[in-house]
Amino acid sequence: MLPETRLAIATIGLLAISMAQANENQLELQQNPDLWATQLGNYQGHRYSELDQITRENVGQLQPQWQFSTGVLRGHEGGPLYVGDGRLYIHTPFPNKVFALDLEDEGRIIWSYEPDQDFRVIPVMCCDTVNRGLAYSDGKLFLGQADNTLIALDAETGELLWDASNGDHTIGESNTMSPLVVHDKVIMGISGGEFGIRGHMTAYNVETGEREWRGYSNGPDDDVLIDPETTLMMGEPIGESDLGLTTWPEGEWERGGGAPWGWITYDPELDLIYYGTGNPGTWNPEQRTVDGEPADNKWAITVFARDPNNGEVKWVYQKVPFDEWDYDGVNENQLIDIEIDGEQRKGLAIIDRTGFGFLLDRETGELLVAEKYAPETNWASHYDMETGRPVVNDEFSTFAQGVDVNTTDICPTAMGAKNMQPSSYSPDTGLIYAGINRICMNYEPFETNYVAGQPYVGATLTMMPAPVEEGGMEGRMGSFIAWDPVKGEVVWEVDERFAVWSGALTTAGNLAFYGTLEGHIKAVDIETGEELWRFKTPSGIIGNINTFRHNGKQYIGVLSGVGGWAGIGLAAGLENPEEGLGAVSAFSGLDEYTKLGGILTVFALPDSDT
Amino acid sequence: MLNKKSRSKHIGILSIAVLALSITTASADNQNVNNQAPSEQQASQEPGSFIVKDGKVDPNTYQGYLTYTRHCQACHGPDALGSSFAPSLSKAAERRSFAEIASTIAGGLQIQPGRVMPSFAEDPSVISNIGNIYSYLKARASGELGRGRPKVIEEMLNEEEG
Repeated sequence: MLPETRLAIATIGLLAISMAQANENQLELQQNPDLWATQLGNYQGHRYSELDQITRENVGQLQPQWQFSTGVLRGHEGGPLYVGDGRLYIHTPFPNKVFALDLEDEGRIIWSYEPDQDFRVIPVMCCDTVNRGLAYSDGKLFLGQADNTLIALDAETGELLWDASNGDHTIGESNTMSPLVVHDKVIMGISGGEFGIRGHMTAYNVETGEREWRGYSNGPDDDVLIDPETTLMMGEPIGESDLGLTTWPEGEWERGGGAPWGWITYDPELDLIYYGTGNPGTWNPEQRTVDGEPADNKWAITVFARDPNNGEVKWVYQKVPFDEWDYDGVNENQLIDIEIDGEQRKGLAIIDRTGFGFLLDRETGELLVAEKYAPETNWASHYDMETGRPVVNDEFSTFAQGVDVNTTDICPTAMGAKNMQPSSYSPDTGLIYAGINRICMNYEPFETNYVAGQPYVGATLTMMPAPVEEGGMEGRMGSFIAWDPVKGEVVWEVDERFAVWSGALTTAGNLAFYGTLEGHIKAVDIETGEELWRFKTPSGIIGNINTFRHNGKQYIGVLSGVGGWAGIGLAAGLENPEEGLGAVSAFSGLDEYTKLGGILTVFALPDSDT
Repeated sequence: MLNKKSRSKHIGILSIAVLALSITTASADNQNVNNQAPSEQQASQEPGSFIVKDGKVDPNTYQGYLTYTRHCQACHGPDALGSSFAPSLSKAAERRSFAEIASTIAGGLQIQPGRVMPSFAEDPSVISNIGNIYSYLKARASGELGRGRPKVIEEMLNEEEG
């Protein structure tokens, strides 16, 4: 078996090399520390830079160099790309404009592109019309438009090279994610988990836009591209066929969600892509039972390891079988090489929606560590490391409590203890740095009917700040944490007034950066979390902080522009659960701090300091 | 499990029928609820009218809360307070008539490209509750009803179930 597999990988590898410079180009760019060529910094999702011009010692001198208004309201997620051609490439939420900005001329617009797309997609975008950014390879930029059109642009001119249709907004499909280029393929997921779509991951040819494979998140094995004899689950072949069909009540898998709308990571040595799937269709667990009993609803909330060449599934790990809380499992899978019990392992770390930090073996999908990074997490007491399943607390089980019953004080909220905001891994410290949410919820499932293109939610939610532990900041709704993925422990924590919804960055300058919903960009000491510098951008930050070097100068770039689910949930503030109904809330509304508006800000040290 | 399911269906049907039911039984309500002024009770049957007592509300307004939370909150934010995505509907209810609000819910709205509200004309659980939504929004706008999930005034709840 093993030699055969090796042979297969070798053959596929040869084929890929002969067909595809794209992968090599992207890899080459990633390995140049001057560049930021992919949204997560590298294929492994580290969001770490070797640049060290900006350090703990001089970061206090960091200054804005110029700002650029995108002219678009709405939440600005993702960040600028720098591939070494003297330009920054940025994107916007719907209408998904793309700009090439001249780094040597304070952001003068070299070219801009605006797709002509059907605005009727907007009502099927559950949580703002966000977009997580461009992908680049070999002179081409790739953008997943809101209306499910995947496009390739000539990076030199902004000319449209090809477009491909990845979904149908009339059945609730939309796109928010950043595609990933691997070999000669552009790989794209889909959004629409709140509209009863059937999730899928699809590869398109980088040159032509022609579809090459599609793997669904649920349904028969042939559609998911699972082989129960060879696809692993907890390190063993799955064995049973068509679990993506049999773990659902009749036909429910067809509207079973599992939308993979987060980030994709890639291991070039193992030649595997990794991503997580979203919530299983309706949020009412009762409608997903089989004979009245909880059913796994596979493969929702599952980590998939797929062969990027043909989509075949190498292994799966379902983080939450039979979801009862909308713990949408799309959070990024960071590929980290670590030592456990004296042994070197190829790890995969997740700061998950559920409040648990996972560590898996990325060759086999075995679960190695599952510990709470958000201590308020109460829906499950722990994970059974033999079965890989959570041990659910009945008090917070919305299924056990029942339909039309308001189950209260569940932590974390459906927003997750962390949402899409990508974390950072520093190989220098071996720690993961993440902005997190400290919010809990009441959750009441109700029966809902599926209508194509209409919301298929079936639960009513209210949210409140999580209880504050001893010494924590009063009324805080977020934190920025340093997490030890092997020990499963928080090393340090900085509390923030609001959920921290921006992507983190770490650098060889011993710094960690993140943004706040009020609009601050902050630099902290990577070892202690001590704040060293901050700047108030014009709007809340839900974008990612990226860094690059041009003409010898290290820059920091970030998109601000509040919105996303954070903007919807937190604009008016949350109620203090300790106060009586209708009392004036002690918890601030985001609305008092920031308003809409997309701005790119580019920072550097003054010339005297570089 | 079966019991739970059938009960939830029952409530679903009941809630859709609430508006019609409460109108047809209006006169009976007037006679049975002695501790409220007839005009106040009568008022609770009109779209936009509501009763708030000790933080509790009439069943229609409660139904409005549920419908808002299930269908409107995802864009307009919790407790009708607005969000970064869509405006506060309790503020809108101060300025807009029932006819205006109802026609927006039914017909949708395009303010400018990128700012779009969908039509709910084909969603019976919204359409049958437009009056109740308006009552909930008016109750919030009045300042009499606080944030969060209100309880139903007990004697009126009993009336509904009876």
